[in-house]
Amino acid sequence: MAVGISGIGIVCAIGNDAASVLGSLRRKESGIAAMRYLPSIHKELPVGEVKLSSQEMKRRLGLPADRPVSRTTLMGAIAIREALAQAGLADLSARRVALISGTTVGVMDITETYYERMKTDPSLELFPHSNECGRSTVEMARLCGLDAAECCTVSTACSSSLNAIILGAEMLRRDEVDVVIAGGSEALSKLHLNGFNSLMILDRQRCRPFDADRAGLNLGEGAAYVVLQNDVPQPLALVSGYANRCDAFHQTASSENGEGAFLAMAGALKMAGLRPQDIRYVNAHGTGTPNNDASESRALRRIFGTEMPEVSSTKAYTGHATSASGSIETVICILAMQHGFTPASLGWETPFEGGVIPTPGHDGVRLDHVLCNAFGFGGNDSALILSRPDASAPQASPSAARACAPDFSCREAARVRVDSDGQLSVLRDYLSPMESRRMGKLLKAGHLSALQALQAAGISRPDAIISATSRGMLENSTLFLEELIANAETLLKPTLFMQSTHNTLASALAIRTGCHGYNVTYSSGDESAAWALRDARRLIATGQAASVLVVSFDETLDGGRTGDYFAESFVLIRDRDE
Amino acid sequence: MEALIEELKKQIIEALNLEELTPEDIDADAPLFGDGLGLDSIDALELIVILDKKYGIRLSSPAEGKEIFKNVRSIAEYVQKARKK
Repeated sequence: MAVGISGIGIVCAIGNDAASVLGSLRRKESGIAAMRYLPSIHKELPVGEVKLSSQEMKRRLGLPADRPVSRTTLMGAIAIREALAQAGLADLSARRVALISGTTVGVMDITETYYERMKTDPSLELFPHSNECGRSTVEMARLCGLDAAECCTVSTACSSSLNAIILGAEMLRRDEVDVVIAGGSEALSKLHLNGFNSLMILDRQRCRPFDADRAGLNLGEGAAYVVLQNDVPQPLALVSGYANRCDAFHQTASSENGEGAFLAMAGALKMAGLRPQDIRYVNAHGTGTPNNDASESRALRRIFGTEMPEVSSTKAYTGHATSASGSIETVICILAMQHGFTPASLGWETPFEGGVIPTPGHDGVRLDHVLCNAFGFGGNDSALILSRPDASAPQASPSAARACAPDFSCREAARVRVDSDGQLSVLRDYLSPMESRRMGKLLKAGHLSALQALQAAGISRPDAIISATSRGMLENSTLFLEELIANAETLLKPTLFMQSTHNTLASALAIRTGCHGYNVTYSSGDESAAWALRDARRLIATGQAASVLVVSFDETLDGGRTGDYFAESFVLIRDRDE
Repeated sequence: MEALIEELKKQIIEALNLEELTPEDIDADAPLFGDGLGLDSIDALELIVILDKKYGIRLSSPAEGKEIFKNVRSIAEYVQKARKK
């Protein structure tokens, strides 16, 4: 049994479907250009916009022009429809279907458009504070005839969509579903542009991944989805290995030795039963920031030593489409395998010490196995290995092995809920003032509940950490949006942005506990906690973890600041009595 | 200079949310990063925002801040020299 890919769909800066993306890659044409659609004052920053207005996208989807729909939803629906059409799955009524989508800020572009009006116009309740990133997934399902599908949203910053594919493959291996549509979508937003700008990691020229003079990334947008099924007769590619690991180093910086990236790549190779030299091409995360490219180079050297396969980052074509980058690059890898070429590195001129030397691109190459990296804030690092269906088979079939593995049962070892200021009075027993200096009440409650639950379970470092939140770090996101408006997109606080992502708590807990294992965040509205617990049980059942920390949290706002809040932590462990 | 150092300490405590520190707790000559006060790369970005907002000094990259942000005194010396407001 192998998980195969039966359809792909993509919309990004270099094309509105797979055929046009392939054409741009082969012609070495970048899609990074001056800003056209995003209503930001920062016109000096080049971006990788999809070359369609929202109205043009609505026309393609047959939607009324006056209906406000996020670009995240629109791009996602276009890509999903393309993927489903290629897979030839017209009638899904008799199948168990899941749509798993990765996104970071979901429908933020719509929130930004209506933000001021929302405060006074009750009819705009239609767009409640849409930090709920699961919203776009549900909308896409409706637009693609997937109303009956299970909808799940994964939010691990820039590795979200790769983690969506990993989750889909795991669900198929466990026979929880028949068909998975997995990937991600992310529209450019002022919040993202200004957030990355506040971190001073945006290049004012086209990005130059792995170049000595690289000066940052260009933000992009887009969507890409793959259709995954078990035992597809003629798959486009096979999913042969993957791993999700955590750098557990810093909220926005990668460690010098690229530990999380190294562990993710090593884990993917192990699962695929492949040796490093079996990999023919690596689509690197390669954002073009000084930090990422140095850290990733180090991790690649630790894996491949002196036998480095061809490596390139395609972000100089697409820009960094954040949460969607992992699935966009997965689709690019599939196109490269199908058509026998390696995507050329653009803009690279000068090597840096210890840096990977990216490929100028080659035609007529046979790519049996390729590796795709996606790394996110909080050190949420994932790697995926894709193989040609006719590739020389790896020594062992890990998928079969995994499917036959004993089904470990699990039990709840501890559960702690924190939802009142009184409970926070013992915070100093767990966190120093320096550790908690950037935390609002919600992060403090999250830490306290998690650390108390681990303490009660007698575990200092869990094997995996999973968080679940509908609206994420609502206070920080709102403060950042308010500041963005008040300061007219200047002088914004980087702390607010770095603490605004939905995966902030899970990755901070990984740093705190030194947990380099599996780390993921679900943001599927009211179903977030159920998805997180289901994943925890799956990890334990398959023997991937013996202990999992799950933290469910959310907050409401009162006058722009945290009002009600809760964080509830569960420690699940393998039941050794059975 | 001493007044400027005092002012900077207050701004640093506020911007970096060092909730349990007072200006007296920060030694103007002790390192702010690493083994000193223990600030990190995000704090450095917050310091860049302070320079811009309060003194009209614009740094173009975090690398430029490296020498300037050694300790509070070095920031004060730089601000005195480069301030536009």
